[in-house]
Amino acid sequence: MNHVAREASLRPFGKPSRLWWVTVIALALVVGAGIAAWVIQLKGGMGVAGYNDHAFWAIYIADVITFIGVSYGGAVVSAILRLTGATWRAPLTRLAEGTAVVTVLIGTALIVPHIGNPIRLYELVTRPNLSAPVFWDFVAVMTYTFASIVFFALPLVPDMAVLHKGHQSGLGKRRTTLYAKASRGWSGAPKQRAVLAGALGLVSIMIIPLAVSVHSVLAWAFASTGRPWWHESIWAPQFVVAALYSGVALVILVLAGFRRGYHLESLIHPRHFVRLGFILATFAATYLYLTFADLLPGSYVGEPGPAAVFTDLMVGRLALWFWMFAIVGGLIPLLLVALPWTRNVTGMVIAATLVLPMMWLKRILLVVGPATYDTVTGTFGTYHFTWVPIAITLAAAAAVPLLLMLLFRVVPLLSIDEMEEIDAMQEIDEMAKTLAAHPHSESGGSSEPVDDGGELVGTTTGTSHKVAGATGVLLLVALIGMLGIGTAHPARAATSAPSITVTGVEGGGKVQLTATLTGANGQPQADAPVAFFFTTTQFGTPARPVPLGSVTTDKAGVAKLILGGDADHKYRPTKIGPQEFGASFTPTSADAKPITSTTTINITVARSAYTPAPPKPLAGLGNGLVIALFSIVAAIWLTLIAQIWRVRRVRLAVQEPATSTA
Amino acid sequence: MQERTTLPEVGPAGPPPGATPNKHQVLSRRNILATLGVTAAGGALSMVNYRDEAQAAVTSRTATAITEAKTAKHAWCMVIDLRTCDGCKLCTLSCQKRHDLREEQTWINVYDMPDSSGGTFPMPRPCMMCENPPCMYICPVGANIRTDEGLVLVDTDACVGSRACMAACPYEARYFNWSEPPAPKRLPMASTPQMPVAKKGTVGKCVFCADRLPHGELPACVSGCAMGVLYIGDLVTDIAVNGLGTSVVLSEFLHENDAVRLKEELGTNPRVYYIAGHGQDLGVGE
Repeated sequence: MNHVAREASLRPFGKPSRLWWVTVIALALVVGAGIAAWVIQLKGGMGVAGYNDHAFWAIYIADVITFIGVSYGGAVVSAILRLTGATWRAPLTRLAEGTAVVTVLIGTALIVPHIGNPIRLYELVTRPNLSAPVFWDFVAVMTYTFASIVFFALPLVPDMAVLHKGHQSGLGKRRTTLYAKASRGWSGAPKQRAVLAGALGLVSIMIIPLAVSVHSVLAWAFASTGRPWWHESIWAPQFVVAALYSGVALVILVLAGFRRGYHLESLIHPRHFVRLGFILATFAATYLYLTFADLLPGSYVGEPGPAAVFTDLMVGRLALWFWMFAIVGGLIPLLLVALPWTRNVTGMVIAATLVLPMMWLKRILLVVGPATYDTVTGTFGTYHFTWVPIAITLAAAAAVPLLLMLLFRVVPLLSIDEMEEIDAMQEIDEMAKTLAAHPHSESGGSSEPVDDGGELVGTTTGTSHKVAGATGVLLLVALIGMLGIGTAHPARAATSAPSITVTGVEGGGKVQLTATLTGANGQPQADAPVAFFFTTTQFGTPARPVPLGSVTTDKAGVAKLILGGDADHKYRPTKIGPQEFGASFTPTSADAKPITSTTTINITVARSAYTPAPPKPLAGLGNGLVIALFSIVAAIWLTLIAQIWRVRRVRLAVQEPATSTA
Repeated sequence: MQERTTLPEVGPAGPPPGATPNKHQVLSRRNILATLGVTAAGGALSMVNYRDEAQAAVTSRTATAITEAKTAKHAWCMVIDLRTCDGCKLCTLSCQKRHDLREEQTWINVYDMPDSSGGTFPMPRPCMMCENPPCMYICPVGANIRTDEGLVLVDTDACVGSRACMAACPYEARYFNWSEPPAPKRLPMASTPQMPVAKKGTVGKCVFCADRLPHGELPACVSGCAMGVLYIGDLVTDIAVNGLGTSVVLSEFLHENDAVRLKEELGTNPRVYYIAGHGQDLGVGE
């Protein structure tokens, strides 16, 4: 088996066949078309992708979820199989891990067309909002990407050492240089193997919660809004299972593709597909269950929001697509695994081929349905695909095989060392049950630290002097006019008209206004309504009177109004300083004009009428959560870097004394 | 409406200890980054008060000192008296004209809401200026800011276009520039959160005409409303006025007319109050 694996891994390194070239060029053309579509979208805006104010999230975010989701399959399948010591994993792990790396990179790249202003994506680092799920998406995806690269790269070291030592002729010049560098010092000594196994074990454990975190935070980007159906507690676990489900499907397809393309039938057996099929079926059943659990309570209660969205989904506009997902993407794959006569390579490949587009469809449904629901009117907007997002999505799909084909031109297709080791172990096992398993190796990965910086955003001021000038002239004209009116008015004052005087006094936190009304006959006027007011210039000049209510005069012609005290919903002074109050009276005779009097009181006791809203409940816990999350993320990055460093050190330290380089 | 019995009195001695706005207890980019040693708060404040600063020499109103700003001088709000709204949409048109908006960008939108008798009633919907704004919490780059006077504004120079705010807003009050916006018809001036200039790939929404309020001018929709439906108000000074020149004592006006807020149950604490009329039943239905 050893030589079979080595020889098979070298197959992609040979002179590419014509089919290889045709495939790569065709895929590259599709990717190129997608990039061209993205450039067009950059120029024209996201409207060219069919987006509108109701369908504000649609196909691109569904793509992001889909591609980052399938990455989970590769990583977790490999990690779980490694941790559980499933020896049949050996021919699969390299392909699975490579798929994980490639798809997470594509998924991350798909955020770019999703964003309206991608040039400012750097702001996620320079001015993050720590309460935003999307920021934590970014942190989780970056961390997971780094971890999956480490997970992919560490086991490469012994393989590269094996190929470099024994098969230089098949490697070619560039690969020889690369392999020599990456595996320098690796001798396969027990200590090296122990360290590599330890590092890989640790990364295997870490990558599972990391992948869970990525898909949970992606779900929370939806669930932490108040939209019906998005705002569901089941979403995070459902996203995780969806990711696993579609991820396993992709691993099956990748395996089938490389198995056929490079004739690996002797290494990747039908039993591999069937076992992956069992995993697929488990997730299919789980996902169908979660979908049911997701939809039942909202449909049952009939609250307007969820009821409208679920109606739309299950019997409305989207019904055809939803049931297509449920049957083609859920039940049929389940059946293909369950029925003995389809439980073979072809059956599994068909199941996987059905699952992938159907899971994408499900993501489209769960994005577009609630997004287009108008939460004010309860009506639905529309979203229609245009060729632009379809081209970009196809490009992303084409990029998966393309990048994998290119990747395995550089790195070995199979984990040779792991396969050889497991073979050896099984031999030893048969002789005597002694050792536990050791994988191996080392490598270099590069880390890019995330720095948190803050950036002050300055804004420049702009005023228009022309406008000011024109306004000034108009104001002058208006002022002259007002002066004319103002000077003319007192001439009408005569003894025959009624008069009103108002006085005010502040004391004990209250303001007492007293208005005295004198009738046309010069006597106090009783039983007359006096309207009190205060004036404000807050909303422009001239001052506006704000009515405070009216009081009827007593026999002495006096009306009193007290402001303050404990009465609710009544005005009380809100500002310290001089404030103008007044009283007015409108005589009953038809042509009479209202008479007013004002007085200015120097307010010394005031209070704001405004009661701030109570703080968001649990906001304090949120602050603590941020600190905890940052600590965890930092610990993860440091641990991952430490694993690289650890393997590198043991590789260089234990080497035979031959080589010495700076 | 709200209890107003526990506020400390503002004496001449200085700002009261309890008057710090609650936003300092919530998770905003501003306060977290401030604790990380970044003077983001100063940056945001200088944006918010830019026009005051420009006018400071004239009016000697230097409201930019942080300590002073903490005791909110204003708490802008809006009252929408549906009893007199006839659904003419003059508010929408005035707003769109002032802010150079496309027809479909209705920063104040007049919805035809179903009432319980099978008919509809018009309901204008500006930005609710929530005191716990979901859009602000969810913005990944902190491009949504809330001023000390309670205005929730978008810094379009920072907006990354994630549209998370559109997803989070329970009032559908946000609009995206899906294509290149039309060139502004007014005189060119710098884009500010108070008077943003639309940019492709960024979000926009009602700003309560924040650039007008410090100068005693009414928002475009308020002055444009021929029916006097819309009142701009200040919860601190307890005054609200409409475009017809009517002034009211705000707390009394809200209390006497049984004003309500949209989707009270969400805890967003909107700063827009509705006075029911035309037979609608707010709170029932959506």
